[in-house]
Amino acid sequence: MDQLQDFIRRGVSRRKFLAGVGCSGTAAALTLAGCGGNGSSSTTPTSPTTPAVTDTDILNFALNLEYLEAEFYLRATTGSGLSATDAGANAGTVTGGGQVPFATPAIQQYAMEIANDELLHVRFLRNALGSAAVSRPEIDLTNSFNAAAMAAGIGSAFNPFASEDDFVVGAFTFEDVGVTAYHGAAGLLTNTTNLGAAAGIMATEAYHAAEIRTLLAQLGGNYLTYANQISALRATAGGGNEVAVAGNAIVPADSNSIAFDRTTDQVLHIVYLSAAAGVVKSGGFFPAGLNGTITATTN
Amino acid sequence: MEMMEKELESPQMSGLGRRAAMLLGGAAVASMALGRRAAAQSSVITDNDILNFALNLEYLEAQFYTLATTGQTIDQVGIGITSGGGAAGGTVTVKANPMVPFATPLLQQFAQETAKDEQNHVTFLRTALAANAVAMPNIDLMNSFNALAQAAGLGATFDPFASEANFLLGAFIFEDVGVTAYHGAAGLIQSKTYLDKAAGILAVEAYHAGSIRLRIFQAGATEAAAATAIATTRATLDGTGNDDVGVGVSNGAATIVDADSNAIAFSRSTTEVLRIVYGGGASGGAFFPNGLNGTIK
Repeated sequence: MDQLQDFIRRGVSRRKFLAGVGCSGTAAALTLAGCGGNGSSSTTPTSPTTPAVTDTDILNFALNLEYLEAEFYLRATTGSGLSATDAGANAGTVTGGGQVPFATPAIQQYAMEIANDELLHVRFLRNALGSAAVSRPEIDLTNSFNAAAMAAGIGSAFNPFASEDDFVVGAFTFEDVGVTAYHGAAGLLTNTTNLGAAAGIMATEAYHAAEIRTLLAQLGGNYLTYANQISALRATAGGGNEVAVAGNAIVPADSNSIAFDRTTDQVLHIVYLSAAAGVVKSGGFFPAGLNGTITATTN
Repeated sequence: MEMMEKELESPQMSGLGRRAAMLLGGAAVASMALGRRAAAQSSVITDNDILNFALNLEYLEAQFYTLATTGQTIDQVGIGITSGGGAAGGTVTVKANPMVPFATPLLQQFAQETAKDEQNHVTFLRTALAANAVAMPNIDLMNSFNALAQAAGLGATFDPFASEANFLLGAFIFEDVGVTAYHGAAGLIQSKTYLDKAAGILAVEAYHAGSIRLRIFQAGATEAAAATAIATTRATLDGTGNDDVGVGVSNGAATIVDADSNAIAFSRSTTEVLRIVYGGGASGGAFFPNGLNGTIK
C-alpha cells in the first residue's frame, strides 16, 4: 500500500507505464499502442515526465512470484517454507501448505528439483538486487486455491497438498504463468545482463511447465480436467495466452509456435485471482499485495 | 589443444571411443588451436545474422521431427527451404523409411506437435528475414548420429528413427542445444521486436526439452544414462566441459532441467553451438557436413 501511495504522490498516473506494462485492451483515454500483450510498443504520455519502470522494479516483480513458487514447492516437499534469511526482513506471513504424501518416488523427485530451483531463483534475484530486494509479501496457499477452485468451477475447495496428483494440479497453476511473466518482462529490461538472467530463468520455468503439463496429459481424467479449468480461469484473468493441456498440446504457444507473454497487469489479475477488469492491488495468493512498485493493476 | 588431448587420455576415451574422438576431433583440435570465432570476417553481427543462424538450426530440427513423424522432408510437406533470393535448399542425408514406429500415442502426439512447432519456427524466421533468409544447407541425419554415438561411447552406430527410445535420445540431442543457442543469442539481438520473438522461441524449445527429458527419465536408468553420456559429449565438444546436465537423480531430486547452479538455463555462444553441431569440425561436419549457410558459421 505504501508503494501505491508513493506512486500517486509522485504525480504519476497509474496508467503511465512503459510499453507493455499496464496495457489493457480497455484503456480508453491514453494512447497505449500495441497493447496486445507483446510488450513491444511505444506509449504516448499525456502528462509530463513519467518515471520509467526500472530493471529493479521488474526484477522485484519477478522476485515476488518466485517467493510464491518457492513457498508452494518447499512446503509441498519439506513441510517448511523459506528460511528467515531467504524471506528477507519483515517478511509477510505464509498461510497454508504442507508436505505432500508422495506415493510415487519419481513425482517426489520432480517436486524436489523444482523446489530447489525456485529457492535458487529467490536467492539469485535477492543477491542480484542486493539492498533493493523486496522481502517476501504475505502469501496464502489455502484460501487462494479454494477461491481458484470455485472460480474455475472445480468445486468449493481444492487442496494441492492433499496428494501427489493434487500437487501436480497445484504446480500447474504457477508454471505457465511464470513463463509468460518472464517473457513479458524480457522486453522491458534495459540491462543486457539482467535480460540474459531473465531469459535463463524463463527457460527453467518452461522446463518445469513442460514436465507438469506432460504429467497431466499422462494422468488424464479428473486431474487433467481440473488443470484445464484453471487454464481457462487464467485465460479470463490473463488476457487469453493459454492453450489447454492435451497429448498434442504440451506447449502453450501462438500460431507461430512462439510462447505467449503477459503484461504485469495480466499476471497480477491472475495471482490476485481477480478476473474482472479494474484496478486491483491485492488478493488471491497475495492477500496484502505484492511488495515493490509493480503491485496494482491499472485496469 | 590441451583439453582435447586430456579428453583422449581419459578412461572414457578408450578403444573405439578414442578412435571416434579422432574422427570427430581431428579437425576440432585444429579449430581450437585457431581460436575460431564465429563470423570472423564481419566486425558487426546483425540481427539478420542471428536470425539466420537460428534458421539453420530450425531447418535441422524441423527435418528431424518431420522425417521421424511422417517419413517426409519439410519441403515435401510444403515448408520452404530456398533462400530469400530463390537459391535452392540443400539435401538431407537420412536412411530410407525414417518414420519412427511409434507405439505410444502420447509420445507420437508430442512428436507431431514438436514437428509442427519447428516447422512453424522455420516459416516464422523465413518470413521475418524475407529476402535475407538463407537456404537450408546440406543436412546429415545419418552419419552424424553414428559419429555422435561413438563419441558418447554408446556404440558404433545410432539410428534415432529405429524406436521410440532412440527417437527420444535423438530429440534430446537437439532441444537443450536449441535452448542454449537462443539464450546465448538473446543478448545480441538489437531489435526489441525480434528479441521478444526469440525469447518466445527460446521458451518453446525449453518446453520441448523439458518434456523430452521427463520422458527419458520415465523410460528408466539405461535410457537416462545414455542421455547423460550425450550431455557430457556436448559439454566436451563445445570446449567448456561443464555446461550440460544429464538426466537422472541427484540427492533425491530429479535432473529434468538443464541448468546451472543458479537454476538458470545454460547459454552458449554461436561458436560453442557450432562446435557441437559440427561434431568438432572447423567449418562443417556432423549435422551440417558443409557448414551452415549465412554469416555465422
